[in-house]
Amino acid sequence: MNNMTDRLCGLFFVLFGLMLFFYLIPTQIETVDYGAIRPKTMPQILAVIIGVFGFILMVKPADGSNLQPMPWGRSSLIVAVLSGGLWLISLFGFIFMAPFLALVLMVIMGERRPLWLGLGVVGMPALIWFAVTILLERPLP
Amino acid sequence: MPELSIVLAGLADAFTLTNLFFVFIGVVLGQFVGAVPGIGPVMAMAIAIPFTFGLDALVAIGFLMGVNKGGLVGGAIPAILMNTPGTPDAAATALDGYPLAMQGKPLKATKMALFSSITGDTFSDLVLITVSAPLAVLALRMGPVEVMGLIILAFCVITGLIGNSVSKGIIAAALGMLAATVGTDPQHATPRFYFGYFEIYDGLPLAAVAIGMLAISEILRRMGENAGVIKAGIAIRDTGNPADQRISWAEYWSCRYTMLRGTIIGTILGALPGIGSTAAAFMSYAGARQASSEPETYGKGSLHGIAASESANSAVMGANLIPLLTLGIPGSVGAALIISAFMIHGIQPGPLLFEKQGQLIYGLFGSMILANMLNLLVGQIGMRFWIKVVSAPETIIFPTALLLCFVGVSLASGGIFGIAIMLIFAVLGFVMNALGISVVIFIIAFFLGPRLEESLSQTLALLNGDVWALLNYPIALALVAMSAVTLVMIRRKSRT
Repeated sequence: MNNMTDRLCGLFFVLFGLMLFFYLIPTQIETVDYGAIRPKTMPQILAVIIGVFGFILMVKPADGSNLQPMPWGRSSLIVAVLSGGLWLISLFGFIFMAPFLALVLMVIMGERRPLWLGLGVVGMPALIWFAVTILLERPLP
Repeated sequence: MPELSIVLAGLADAFTLTNLFFVFIGVVLGQFVGAVPGIGPVMAMAIAIPFTFGLDALVAIGFLMGVNKGGLVGGAIPAILMNTPGTPDAAATALDGYPLAMQGKPLKATKMALFSSITGDTFSDLVLITVSAPLAVLALRMGPVEVMGLIILAFCVITGLIGNSVSKGIIAAALGMLAATVGTDPQHATPRFYFGYFEIYDGLPLAAVAIGMLAISEILRRMGENAGVIKAGIAIRDTGNPADQRISWAEYWSCRYTMLRGTIIGTILGALPGIGSTAAAFMSYAGARQASSEPETYGKGSLHGIAASESANSAVMGANLIPLLTLGIPGSVGAALIISAFMIHGIQPGPLLFEKQGQLIYGLFGSMILANMLNLLVGQIGMRFWIKVVSAPETIIFPTALLLCFVGVSLASGGIFGIAIMLIFAVLGFVMNALGISVVIFIIAFFLGPRLEESLSQTLALLNGDVWALLNYPIALALVAMSAVTLVMIRRKSRT
């Protein structure tokens, strides 16, 4: 199983290297035909390195490496909440949306105590607002 | 050679109550701001400069020095206590600091960081005070070819951080360098991989990438692992052993060679414009691990790991001022801000500075030493405070840390777009950690990549196809030879 993870990982990097070399670099970098190092040179070298070492990883997986146990489900949920929160912040501003974002995150983590919820939802965003807007005189996002 | 009366007058200016007060305030502010992910000492200095308009030149610059030095110490605090570095240069500190804190020894870890940071900083300041002029001349001789040699050496030293899979280590480095190619290329200013987003024309912001990959990805993991059970942000076990909460002289002294290596690396890199403290910290860490007779203890709470990183990143600070004070060339963004503070107060940095403003410069040196002493004092108290703070429930620590990262990255890298980049790299860091691909190597390569490409293109232009012309660059050849020796040593060590 460990070997299979590394093999699949290697296969991904081979495909990524190929896509980088044959699709992304030609479409995302303008062609310049002069100079010691052209804009495409470094990305092309890196694409080759990624592809070649991806291939090596595929045919010769590392000893003792494995897929680290990670909380994929809950972490994905938190990423989704943060992304949604960021979108709302971009619409309504940090000062209005930060308390809601903090509340959702605290509830997901299992916090139900009113005092701690109050501190996290009102106290900390207010402290950030005071420190950034009043003391530092910088705009919040 | 300056007259003794000027030196003494300068030092006397530094030790006035007014100066002491403002350096103290600067240190407190710097330590606090350094502990907030994303903000860091450079931004704190940028914000603080307008407040110094009404102050005397020495007091103003002493205050800014306090902010900068305090920020370097402060950056290590969240790195150790929460595995979320406040500044990119504290990322290497987290590698051993956090495991040590998780063993119930957060005070031991933070004190080691504090002591080694002060040691590195003081050593670097002494170098600045005593031999800044000859070092500046040497630094001036470091042209593109020599910088290229130095970056090659940095990459070779850092290969010591590659784990059990060389392929994954090289892929991590290539991905980091690839991310660094986003934006305009250094030679032709041609846009690359910007996908229509003009916000990344100048490249991906380091603060967003580093905080996303190092701090947010860790917070995502910790929050994901929380299954509704409310725990403290950091568990401080009462081991019943007071030795677990302090650093003994024997422990400090056992790290003397590690700190000496770190301070030398930091001082040399600090004297060179553009290399920076992040590279110094990782080079020192990798070098210490290679030189250690117990490399397997690194990454598991080794005091040497903390000492290596902190001594190096703090040593950069004093050395950054060497080209600034002697030649008027800023070696970093922080040094550039110091130059602007000089100019605001009508002082022109450069070769004549020592001659025309000798008393002020020796006052500045006195303020720097004063700031180091105050850093030690404030740090002793401040670190206990921060440990109390992160002993609060995770349910408040992590959401607050996320909000602070949002604000910090928004301030550092220009608004919502920077935060979006931070989230993207947080997910990338999370996946890379799961697959055992080193995030640390990615970050170092991301940082060094643009410098490598720029110096490579300049070197090729200078050599103009003539390989033998390299013989005209003995420093560069020595650095390349050192790189080869380093690789051989690392290979031998990994076999044994």
